[in-house]
Amino acid sequence: MNDSSSMMLIGIGGGGSAIARGVRRAFGEGLRFLAIDTDAATAADCEDFLLLGGNRLSGRGSGGDIVAARLATEDSINSLDPKIEGVRLAIIVTSLGGGTGGGATLETVKRLDSLGIPSIVFATTPFTFEGEDRQRSARGVMAMIEEAAGATFFVPLDKIVGNAERLDDAMRRAVDTMASAVTLFWRLVEKPGYLRLDAERIRHLVSKAGRGRFAAVSSMGPDRARDISDMIARAPLLTTGSGPVRAILCGVLAGEDLRLSEISTISEGVRSAFGNQATTFELATVNDEDTFSGRISVVLLLFEANAKDDYSEEKPAGVLGNKRKKRAAKPLGIGPQGRGRFNNAEPTIWNSEDLDIPTYLRRGISLDV
Amino acid sequence: MSNFYAAMEIGTTRTVLAIGEEEVGGRLKITCHAEIPSTGVRKSQILDINQATSSIKSVLHAIEKKQSEAGSTITLGNAYLVVSGQHIKADPFQGMVPIEGAKVGPEELDAVFRSSRTMQIPKDREFLDIVDQDYEVDALRGITAPRGMSGRILKLNTLQIHADRNRIDNARTAADEAKLEIREPLFAATCAADAVLDEHEKRNGVLVLDIGGGSTGYAAYSDGHLVTTGVIGVGGDHITNDIAHAFQTTNAQAEQLKIESASAIIGRPGEPRVKVPGSSPLMETRTISRRALDTVVNARLRELLTVIRETLEDQDLFNRLHAGVVLTGGGAAMHDIDDLVKRELGMPVRTGKPIHVDGLDGEKFPASFAAVAGALMYASRTDEDRSILSGLIGRFFK
Repeated sequence: MNDSSSMMLIGIGGGGSAIARGVRRAFGEGLRFLAIDTDAATAADCEDFLLLGGNRLSGRGSGGDIVAARLATEDSINSLDPKIEGVRLAIIVTSLGGGTGGGATLETVKRLDSLGIPSIVFATTPFTFEGEDRQRSARGVMAMIEEAAGATFFVPLDKIVGNAERLDDAMRRAVDTMASAVTLFWRLVEKPGYLRLDAERIRHLVSKAGRGRFAAVSSMGPDRARDISDMIARAPLLTTGSGPVRAILCGVLAGEDLRLSEISTISEGVRSAFGNQATTFELATVNDEDTFSGRISVVLLLFEANAKDDYSEEKPAGVLGNKRKKRAAKPLGIGPQGRGRFNNAEPTIWNSEDLDIPTYLRRGISLDV
Repeated sequence: MSNFYAAMEIGTTRTVLAIGEEEVGGRLKITCHAEIPSTGVRKSQILDINQATSSIKSVLHAIEKKQSEAGSTITLGNAYLVVSGQHIKADPFQGMVPIEGAKVGPEELDAVFRSSRTMQIPKDREFLDIVDQDYEVDALRGITAPRGMSGRILKLNTLQIHADRNRIDNARTAADEAKLEIREPLFAATCAADAVLDEHEKRNGVLVLDIGGGSTGYAAYSDGHLVTTGVIGVGGDHITNDIAHAFQTTNAQAEQLKIESASAIIGRPGEPRVKVPGSSPLMETRTISRRALDTVVNARLRELLTVIRETLEDQDLFNRLHAGVVLTGGGAAMHDIDDLVKRELGMPVRTGKPIHVDGLDGEKFPASFAAVAGALMYASRTDEDRSILSGLIGRFFK
């Protein structure tokens, strides 16, 4: 299998596409990238672009309206299929809380899932100052994305902007942080190393991984490995989770000078900080002198114990044109919540969904009540 | 004396009883009808026979009162029963006979008809209707009049509509308890279609969506005959339930919001906030976002239409419906549902007022009586002795 074509980076909405473009610039050639947006202007810097709801919104964007974005996605989601031909793993970057990211991400992930393509979703959630409505919108859709995605990383913007004083600085830092983490992750998979982690292994690991946390750190100098261990232990994004860590994926990227003792230091630092109850620990290295000369970068993914089922059962590869049968094989995504007056009635099942449960709930539609 | 027929529908939200009378010239007129809210019924199925019996008694009483006021003295002893629910299925079945004399004659037509009535169904199922579609003579298909045609094999394509026997029996039991005999169970969706469609639409291809409280029946016609029919277990009650869940209201409040304030289309002009009266005198009136309300309704209806569309596409029928969609049932009264259907299915849409039955002119929403009107048409067409008038166990209307 050709890894460069089996993984695709998908940026959704203005924020997600900006992050994806950052990854594309940092990584260089060989990264398959698709931008999805309701705003036609996003297409300008993207090699491949899917405009959502062209007839409905005329390419002018959703104006921050989640409902309009969701409807636009439903209009255009069929057009996604030819663009993802051959893809076996999708990395999605998006921004939740409003507009196209909030309205289109769920439908996109569900479409991928129906085609047997697991997705890893990196999503920012709104700043606290953006208000409770946006926070609630994000929370509403997060649970539904988790149902359909292989692995999810929800990142509160408050956590990644640090002490930035100006909003534009904060936004730039948020984009840079997300983009650098995804870029390192991409390099980890695509670049050869002595401890190799290829796309198929990643696909297997994340296909049912559930919610996770991530961090990407770098250091140079003689104590670089020790510095990295310290940074990981203090990384704000790694302390946002609520449950114990079940699985760890640790990627070490460096030049040819990477020493075995440094790998041990980093590995032990990660284990001591997060690995007490972890049952899976995957370590991978990349030796890329051109990119990492004198420097060590580490990308760390932690998956929580309340994640989805065990890793052993892999989903079948996607086959276009057989979507309904694939959906039929999927277990129900939501429990009896919301059946209300139909609790004791014979359920109406369609494509494995219980139609007695409110539609807006199953589709993760946020309501500005 | 004119001939009278009665038809009753025990629906999820209401029980309807209508009496039809043949006028001079043979046209049918609904001379009296009554409806009361149903109890003990969910998703078109009776869950409490006592409550269903009570509903039937109430609607009989309402009819009795109306008849009495009109000075009528007829006896009502039985009625046709209009049924719906997702237990109803339609299967194609083909009758087949050899053409003995090289040309199709009366014997072959009779034999192929009998052959088409031999489909076996499980004992717990009951036929509601067998609909003839078209004939085939060898490789020639779509024949409407095969008499005199040459060939070796004559086939008759049919659609066999059947239902869960126990559920029909539950309705019979409830009616028996109310001293009303059930003559025949009839399928709501095809009854509604008979009442609201003309032959031109059936020839050009048309879809009837009979949106009830607990389920939605569909009946598609093409080339003049029924090509598919069935029931999706989603109806207007689902919209009510969704609203109640989304806005933390009682079912009664949600029903009121659905009927009075909600739209199937998001973003229609109007007041941005909708009042929700308190559920009790102690609770204050509050407001909710009209856009959020419409979003909940829109999502449910779009999903229902997607299910219908995919069902028809799976049978390669969707693109044959050139005459569009006709909406019947109480759910067709939803604000702006015609615009949504037009947008989602990409076809012309109209609301299905019964066109072959008179007597509903004073009704606010005649499309909600389409199924019982179609049942009365069936009764008029097929009932040989037309004997609901006298000598039967029944009630007296003075």
